[in-house]
Amino acid sequence: MRNDLELDAIIEDYLLGKLNAQEMEAFEQLRLNDATVDHKVVSHKFFLASMDTFAEQLRLKEQLNHIHSEIDVEGLASTLRPHPSRVVQLWRKHKSAIAVAASFVVLSLVSIYSIQHSTQQAERYRQLSNRVNNAIKTQNSLIRNIKHNNATSDKPSTQNSFGGTGFAISTNGYILTNLHIINGADSLYVQNSKGESFKVKSIYTDPQNDIAILKINDKHFSNLSSIPYTIKRNTSNIGEIVYTLGYPKDDAVLGEGYVSSKNGFIGDTTQYQVAISVNPGNSGGPVLDNNGNLVGIISGKPDQTEGAAFAIKSKYILEAMRAIPQDSLGINKLSANKKSLLSGLKRTKQIEKIQDYVFMIKAY
Amino acid sequence: MNNSLKSSVPTDREVILGILNNSEDTLNKLYKAYYAMVLQFILNNNGDEDDAKDVYQEGIIILYNKIKAGNFELSSKLKTYIYSVCRRIWLKKLSLNSKKAGNITDYEDVFAVEEDVENHEEKDASFAKMQSALDHLGEPCKTIIQDFYIHNLSMQDICEKFGYTNTDNAKTQKYKCLQRLKKIFFQP
Repeated sequence: MRNDLELDAIIEDYLLGKLNAQEMEAFEQLRLNDATVDHKVVSHKFFLASMDTFAEQLRLKEQLNHIHSEIDVEGLASTLRPHPSRVVQLWRKHKSAIAVAASFVVLSLVSIYSIQHSTQQAERYRQLSNRVNNAIKTQNSLIRNIKHNNATSDKPSTQNSFGGTGFAISTNGYILTNLHIINGADSLYVQNSKGESFKVKSIYTDPQNDIAILKINDKHFSNLSSIPYTIKRNTSNIGEIVYTLGYPKDDAVLGEGYVSSKNGFIGDTTQYQVAISVNPGNSGGPVLDNNGNLVGIISGKPDQTEGAAFAIKSKYILEAMRAIPQDSLGINKLSANKKSLLSGLKRTKQIEKIQDYVFMIKAY
Repeated sequence: MNNSLKSSVPTDREVILGILNNSEDTLNKLYKAYYAMVLQFILNNNGDEDDAKDVYQEGIIILYNKIKAGNFELSSKLKTYIYSVCRRIWLKKLSLNSKKAGNITDYEDVFAVEEDVENHEEKDASFAKMQSALDHLGEPCKTIIQDFYIHNLSMQDICEKFGYTNTDNAKTQKYKCLQRLKKIFFQP
C-alpha cells in the first residue's frame, strides 16, 4: 500500500515534469521493464487530462455564472416573456418576416414604377422614330421648296412634297420602296439618275413591313436592261459589309457600312441594324452586299444612335413580290436564283451598274 | 430588447481573437450580447429563466471550446451560430422531458449544428462522470482533490487548510484520495 502511494506520487511528478534528470531516467527504465507501471502511467495521464479539462470547464462555468449574475435577468425576462397581447406577440414573432414583406412591397412598387417609366421611354422611342420618318418628309419638302423657289414656279405650286429612294424589281418598271414615303401622297413620281421623271402609281402596299410597290405608268419610259442585283435568301451575318445607294439629296449618295445587329428597332426581327449613316431621303434605298445581293431596304434609323440605320430584311421583298400577279412583273424580274451581275466587280463599277435601277421617289 | 446590452455587441472577429487570448472582458461582452436573444427564445418555448441560463451557458461553452480547439470557421454570424446551438440543445431537452415541442417559435435564422452539439454531449458525459466520482469520494477527499487539481492550491496551502502536521502527511492523504477517485472514475 505504502509502495503504491509512492509509485503514484512518482508517476504524477513524472507526468508533471517535476523529476530531475536522473530520477527521470531511472523511472523511464522502470517503465520499460515493468508493464504494470507503464499501464499506471498511461491511465494516470488520461486521468490527469480528464481532470484538467474538467477543471477548465468548471472554471469557465464559474466565470459564466459570475457574468450571468451581472445581468438583470428579471428585467429582461419581463420584457421578453410571451406578451399577453396577441398583436405584440405576433409582431415579435414575425418581426423579420414583416420586415421582409415590407421591403418586398417597397421593391415591387419601385420596380412597377420603373417598368412604367421604361415603357414610357419605349413609347417615346417609337414616337421619335416616327418623327424620323416625318423628318424625312419635312427635310425633303425643304429641298423641294428651295427648288420651287429657284425654278420660279412654272407649275402650280404644290404644298408638300416628300422624297425617298426606291429601286427596280423588274425591267418593266416595277419599283419597290418604303410605304411611309408615299403614304397619303396625291401623286407619285420617280426620277432616275439622268434626271428623267416618270409618273408612277402604287400597286401594292404592306403596312406591316413598311413596303410599297410602285409601277411606272409613263409612255416615255422604256424598259430597263436586266436587273444587275439579286435577292439574298439567307439572313446576313453581323459584320457583313453592305452599302446603300439613296437620294438624301438630288444626287445619288453612297453609304457604306456593315450589318451591326440581326434585329432592328427594339428587337424587331423583320429588320437588321446596319452601321451606315443615313439621312432623310435614304428610306427605301437598297442595301447590297459586296456580291451585289440585296440584303434589305433602308427604312429608318434609331433616334439616339449615331451612324446606325434599320433595314427591312430581304425576305420581305420576296414576300411583297409574291403578293402581286407574277405575270405582270415580266420575265426579267428581280430573283434570288440568278447570279448577281455585280459579283466580283469593284465598288465604283457596281455603283455604275446599279445607279440606273435606283430611283428617287417624289411624293406630292 | 435592452439597448444597453445591444450596444456593446462585440464583432465576431473580436470575440474569436478575445477567446483565443483568454480575454475575460471579451467573454463578458459575448455573454451579455446574446443572452437576451436566447432568453427570449426559451421563455417563448415552454422554458423559464433557469432553463435559459443552462442552455445559454452550454451554448457559450460549445462555442468557446470550438474556438479554443482552433477549428472554428466562421461560416455564419456568431449570433446565428449561438442561436442554432441553443435552439438545438433546448429542443433536445424538451423532447427528453417529453414536453410539447411541436410549435417552436423562432426568432433568428437557424443552421445545422447537430455535430457540434453531439460532440459536446459526449464531453459533457465524461465531465458528469468525473463530477459523480468526486461526489462519491466524500469529505475531506473531495475538497482536497478539488483544491489541488481545480483550484490549483499548493500542498502547503492544503496542509494548512486541513490542519495536517506536515506536507508529507497531506501528500499521503492526497494520494490516498486520488487512488480512490481513480478507482471510482475508471469503474466501467
